[in-house]
Amino acid sequence: MTPYTLLLLLALPLLAGLALSFLPAGSPQRVRSLAALATASQLAVALLCWRQPPADLQLAWLPKLGLELDLGLDGLSLPLVLLTALLSTMAMLSAPADQSRPRLFYALLLATNVGVVGAFLARNALLFVLAFELVLIPTTLLVAIWGGPRRAGAAIRFLLYGAVSGLSLLAGVLALGWFNANGLDFSFSGLAQADLAPRAQAWILALLLLAFGLKLPIVPLHGWQPLTYGQAPTPVVMLLGGAVSKLGAYGLLRFGVGFLPDTWAAWSPWIAAAGAVSAVYGALNAIAQSDMRRLMAYSSLGHMGLLVLALAAATPLALQGAVAQILAHGLIVALLFACVGLIERRTGTTEIAELSGLLNPLRGLPVSAAMLLLALMAAAGIPGLAGFPAELLVFEGSWTAFPRATLVCLVASGLTAVYAVRLFNRVGFGRLDNDRADWQPTRWAERLPALALTLLVIGFGLWPNALVGWSATETDAMALRSQPFLAVSPSVTVATAPPRTVQGLSGTIALIPSPLAVPSS
Amino acid sequence: MSPAIAPPPAPVQAPLIPPSEHRWAEVVHRLEAGGSMLPDTPENLMQIIGIYKAYAVPMDFYWRDLLYIAERVFLNPLPAFKYFPSQEYLDRPNAYAGEQSQLPIWRGGEKAHPELLEFMAKGETVAMPKLLHHLWHDRINMEFAEACMQAMLWHQDLGGRFNDYLASEAYRANADRAIRAYFKGNPLMLGLYKLFPEMFLEQVKQLSYYANLGLFWEVMAPVFFEMSDLFDEGGFKGVPDAMDFLVNGIFAVAGRPIYHHVYVGEECIEVIPKSEGFTWLYEAALPYVEAVFYRTSPFRGTKSYNAQAGQIPTEQADFHYGILYADVFPVGSAGIPPTLLMQDMLHFLPPYLQELYAQHKRGEDDQLIQLGVTFQRSMYNVTSAVIQALRCALLYPLDDTDPEHLLANRRFFEAQLDRFLRPEARLGAIQSQDYR
Repeated sequence: MTPYTLLLLLALPLLAGLALSFLPAGSPQRVRSLAALATASQLAVALLCWRQPPADLQLAWLPKLGLELDLGLDGLSLPLVLLTALLSTMAMLSAPADQSRPRLFYALLLATNVGVVGAFLARNALLFVLAFELVLIPTTLLVAIWGGPRRAGAAIRFLLYGAVSGLSLLAGVLALGWFNANGLDFSFSGLAQADLAPRAQAWILALLLLAFGLKLPIVPLHGWQPLTYGQAPTPVVMLLGGAVSKLGAYGLLRFGVGFLPDTWAAWSPWIAAAGAVSAVYGALNAIAQSDMRRLMAYSSLGHMGLLVLALAAATPLALQGAVAQILAHGLIVALLFACVGLIERRTGTTEIAELSGLLNPLRGLPVSAAMLLLALMAAAGIPGLAGFPAELLVFEGSWTAFPRATLVCLVASGLTAVYAVRLFNRVGFGRLDNDRADWQPTRWAERLPALALTLLVIGFGLWPNALVGWSATETDAMALRSQPFLAVSPSVTVATAPPRTVQGLSGTIALIPSPLAVPSS
Repeated sequence: MSPAIAPPPAPVQAPLIPPSEHRWAEVVHRLEAGGSMLPDTPENLMQIIGIYKAYAVPMDFYWRDLLYIAERVFLNPLPAFKYFPSQEYLDRPNAYAGEQSQLPIWRGGEKAHPELLEFMAKGETVAMPKLLHHLWHDRINMEFAEACMQAMLWHQDLGGRFNDYLASEAYRANADRAIRAYFKGNPLMLGLYKLFPEMFLEQVKQLSYYANLGLFWEVMAPVFFEMSDLFDEGGFKGVPDAMDFLVNGIFAVAGRPIYHHVYVGEECIEVIPKSEGFTWLYEAALPYVEAVFYRTSPFRGTKSYNAQAGQIPTEQADFHYGILYADVFPVGSAGIPPTLLMQDMLHFLPPYLQELYAQHKRGEDDQLIQLGVTFQRSMYNVTSAVIQALRCALLYPLDDTDPEHLLANRRFFEAQLDRFLRPEARLGAIQSQDYR
């Protein structure tokens, strides 16, 4: 497949965004159809790329600054591009049929898509920064214009946190280039071989942790998340939680684990601790929430904690778990918000205390509530659903590296079930309020995005290899620690990276090779 | 066109007693004016008559099968076919319908209603053997009738002499005779009876309530059929008319004997003979209204919402889970599970009710709930009839000119409405047409 296919992945939503301006503003459904068609086509192209991977595309852009239009797809970025294209389509279809100011709304959603997909496709750090920064503008506008009653505060906070994240990333990436003893080179291949002094590595990693930690987010960098998730319109929050936040996870994996392995390994106990704190803090706060959207925001924060733990452990299994968690969480959180959006559209509220008996087959919202139940079960890691294999891999992979942090995260995972049961017991079961139960059922067209996501969550749960098979080669190569007790089997690839001794801030850290690990040739 | 000239105002007659200060003062005044607790609107009239019709058809099955169980199935230890009344019981002439009746309430036939027979043959699905309909649950839900019977059995002290009689020696002797006759030649069951006589006796008491309720509904079914026919003929002007018809019906059949006969082969054993003098009004109708409309019991499923909410009172007399209080929204969560009856009535809705439901809420999709609310309205009207009948029997006419008598009536009405002061009562809800 030609490398220009990669350009098509960006051109489709970009051109569709421009074409929207030629459609009449009075037909929001046509605008939505075109936007969704563009992202669905992007998804189809990405699937073709999966079947027949294209070669990297390199076009000179601003070579004197080290900026090239260097695009590529590998095992890490391909599933994320697929996820983004899928969630973009689902987000478009989740928007109300009578969306106000539709041309601008969908154009901004498409712009967000372009930014996120561009970042995942980028094989050049500066290009990544550019795409990363691009995402902030449309998402802020989407929250500010179409958000809830407190949208102004939410947008400002989101913008400020995003700006700090962007600046921090820019500084970190520039430092990566400038302090590289091998010369100025922002390409990923060049950065992978960068020769950086330990102190420079430490400063750069600190900047990158701040940048990606804000985007993910993790405690204590999460200040923007509950308010923004609470105020953003449903399609936007589906994209924010499902795809945009994954830029942070991708960045930590690509830049932190990939480009700064020594410092990452040295700092990993602290990073794992931060992950554990995030997991517990998120779960406990989710239990205390009285609003479904805020509950899901904290739930997401908790799950990002598990992801960070896996990245800190950086064993082959943990990294596979991290990728699986990125994908599973992306689907689950989008499904959660899609269901909440359906419920909110009919009932006019997301307050838990105001809702009950939604499973009632005659006057409730049984299909939407049932999908919400399934999404909550998936978030709680119930076997048979996508969350389970991802969390199992995270715990299995992290246990040997950070047993205490893993135990804490296991407890946090248990707490997930607490808030899931608490939420659904109040919202789904119980007495349907006679005075409030005066709404019409959701239509199949409205349920379609949530149904599609539900099927995927079930599908990945029943066939978990689809979650981990994408990136095994890349994650195994990036692994910093081996998996001591992992048996070699045809279905699981164990560490292929050679045992390494890395230089940490406080001295040399020996990473013990596994007797069962298969050394790379 | 000349402007219409307003008629001179009618002379205002000063009321003999001051207005009520009860919370439901508006309803008190309506009852004092001979009205019903249910507001008099054309739609309310249409709703309640329509649902009476839909209720009467399954009720025609309930009473026949209740009597079949009480009289024929009796103490069968494996009553797997108790919901399959024999043809004799399906053809059993209703004592208040048809030409053979000495007091015909309904002008229609005395045998099982044609719509009922048609449904029994086809159900919701297709014509197939009775057993398959039963197993597929495509049938009349006798479980509802049994739940009503159990409510009457369980609450017991509901007025009348019926329950006291069940503890008498005469009843024990009659029951003993019936048990021995029924299990004649069955040493196993007779041995068990010798070992556990009270258990058998308790079962017979329950069967006596089967008979009690069966005889009660044998009257109500033709009453409702006749009301439906009258409405179709344009016979009712408003809700009070419908209530008055019920009041008159209550008085007409008040003295109907309540009894329990058991048939063993050709022999008839009178467990409760007619000669005991138990009457339809005091031993069946009033206990039924108290047990089923007001009290019943909390939902006894595996997950009781009432229990979770700490809503189960310690005193049985404080129970208030009947249809007058029931929340029909979460289907089957409170009171006698109205779901079963609602499902039965759904099969026999007159077309005008179906059209009405199609215009509101979720149309056909939530007919079950809409008809449940209609049923609630209609039972407030039946309860109003019972209240007016009691007032008529025990107190003074509504047009009495003695203020003391009117105040006595007022106190009676207010005492009745005190039972609807609890927040669960739906009296407030049915005052609005928006409650659907």
